[in-house]
Amino acid sequence: METQVKQIMSNTFSINIEKISDDSSPDSIANWDSLKHMQLILSLEEEFGIEFSDNEVVELVSFQKIIDALKRIA
Amino acid sequence: MMSKELLGSSSNLNLSSLIADVERADAADISLDRTGKVRILRNFTIDLIEPFLKYGMYQAGISPQVSFGGYDTIYQDLLNLSPDQGRDPNTPDITVLSIMLDRLDPTCYAPGWTSVNVSEKVRELFDLAVERTNSLIAVNTFIPPFYREQGIALLHDVTDREYEICKLNEYVRKFVTERSSRIFLVDWERLVRILGEERSIDYRYWYTSQAPFKLEFLNLYATEISRLIRVSKGDVKKCLILDCDNTLWGGVVGEDGIEGIQLDPNEWPGTAFYRFQISILHLIERGVLIALCSKNNVQDVWSVLNSHPNCLLKREHIAAWKINWDNKASNISALAEELNLGLDSLVFIDDDPAQCELIKQSLPEVQVIQVPERLYNYPDLLHKAGLFDTLTVSKEDRNRTKLYLQEEERNLAQKSFSNIDEYLDSLEMCASIHRAHNHELARIAQLTQKTNQFNLTTRRYSTPEIAALQDDPSTAIFSLNVSDKFGDLGLTGVLIARRFGQSAEIDTFLLSCRILGRELEYLFVDYCLTALERTWNVNEWKALFIPTRKNQQTSTFWDDLDFQLLSESIDCKHYIASSETRRHFNKTFIEIQETG
Repeated sequence: METQVKQIMSNTFSINIEKISDDSSPDSIANWDSLKHMQLILSLEEEFGIEFSDNEVVELVSFQKIIDALKRIA
Repeated sequence: MMSKELLGSSSNLNLSSLIADVERADAADISLDRTGKVRILRNFTIDLIEPFLKYGMYQAGISPQVSFGGYDTIYQDLLNLSPDQGRDPNTPDITVLSIMLDRLDPTCYAPGWTSVNVSEKVRELFDLAVERTNSLIAVNTFIPPFYREQGIALLHDVTDREYEICKLNEYVRKFVTERSSRIFLVDWERLVRILGEERSIDYRYWYTSQAPFKLEFLNLYATEISRLIRVSKGDVKKCLILDCDNTLWGGVVGEDGIEGIQLDPNEWPGTAFYRFQISILHLIERGVLIALCSKNNVQDVWSVLNSHPNCLLKREHIAAWKINWDNKASNISALAEELNLGLDSLVFIDDDPAQCELIKQSLPEVQVIQVPERLYNYPDLLHKAGLFDTLTVSKEDRNRTKLYLQEEERNLAQKSFSNIDEYLDSLEMCASIHRAHNHELARIAQLTQKTNQFNLTTRRYSTPEIAALQDDPSTAIFSLNVSDKFGDLGLTGVLIARRFGQSAEIDTFLLSCRILGRELEYLFVDYCLTALERTWNVNEWKALFIPTRKNQQTSTFWDDLDFQLLSESIDCKHYIASSETRRHFNKTFIEIQETG
């Protein structure tokens, strides 16, 4: 699951997969803006066949938070 | 195609790898033959469409440039366009208006709402777009509600939102067909019908971020826009080449006999072949040429086409054929030559995977389609693929097969004459040469897009660009219409000249291949130049030959007219001539009608 998420983040933000760590967030990834966030959410939903709620969508702003949420839902 | 390799092979929809593929292709910055500029003006968040749009364009061999107007600022964005943007290299090829109804009219959910006011707003926006841009324009229909406010009751005294939106959509469709040849429809109502509510609408992002569409809808929407761009760039298929056994009908006519083949509209699998033939009839209506390339006895094939009661395709629909036991690759090359078409404008359908593979290997420019194993997918195959899309269908398109068959009669007639002049004389040709009429502009643009062989400069123009040239007083567009005793050949020649003071330059000179070999080219040029020398009072002509892979036959055209070669490089030959030094022509066997 971690690798899948990293791959999606790497594709979405066009950064090297090695650079993604547990605390990667909009603060450490320059082009993580609202549009990219939407792309990220949609890609994760596509990959894992789930749908995040409106509340989850705004909270999923770091690698670790995404992993936690996926473990909870999937 | 290089771009396709760059895109990788992600065949199923997956946003994050799509983004990565597009990023990679963007970064590689390879120069493709064509560039497509799209400008999206919108009243909601449609930005997520960008990777899908770029992907679709890369797939079509087009370098994409996609830009967006401000959020909900369509009016302002249109008003801010500079009036002379026709000359601006950043002018988009297509301006997409993406309009959500509830942003345009927030009262649209209220009880008693009618579409009267909003159709007025829509008309204003569309009109403004037509006035303010020279590009193609794509507009959308609106999505009717999935649920009825009145529930299951059908009430006559209450306005119905569904009815109102359908009325509005009819208004949009009517506007698109009547207002301008530059405006096109991307029918959201139909796209939603294909996908359904579940796969189209993201209520979460709609209400939280004004981004109402799911990825599948965005993908379909982007595909439709890419199709418009691809076709506007001249990527058009012109001829469908068909195998016969198990392609046009089920079974093998040589073995099963004419009574034994499967083509019964009421009995599977005849149903599939019958319905496929109907889809071919629609292509013929739109001017697609049909050719046969099959391994059969010629007589067997003609007897099916002439006398099988369920065979809809008739011999007179077939523009050319190679029915023999030779290699199909050489047969297809021969058909292309006979029909004067480039291989890249051909589509070939066969049921035999080995034959399909052979053509893919030996003639990679030809688009090859194998009859699907799941035969029930066969009837709609061609419509779904959108391969034969064109922006308009001209009078010449509708008559095309007839024109090619007339050409055959001409060829037969030619054989009975001992010299060419005698033959040309016998054709009783009549040429009408005049400054282009406004109703001819779409056809003229089409010719600049499609003509490859007899085309001195191969400059491609869109209809709006041609319209802008028509309005420009320092530019003249001439059209040539030809007929002879076998029939009307239609608008088949274009010359565009631009004036620079005392001299003028021939920007474009082209003839459709169907009128070549009649010495009309010399006459046409001479007539246009003589007319302009008079009206423009110019005495010096500049002309160009820009070589391409396909226009070698015209490489000495200006030399033949006694134009003087000024300079020559790999990509251009420059010529000059004066009204006295250039050759003049006066062919007695062509009657010239002067009109307009």
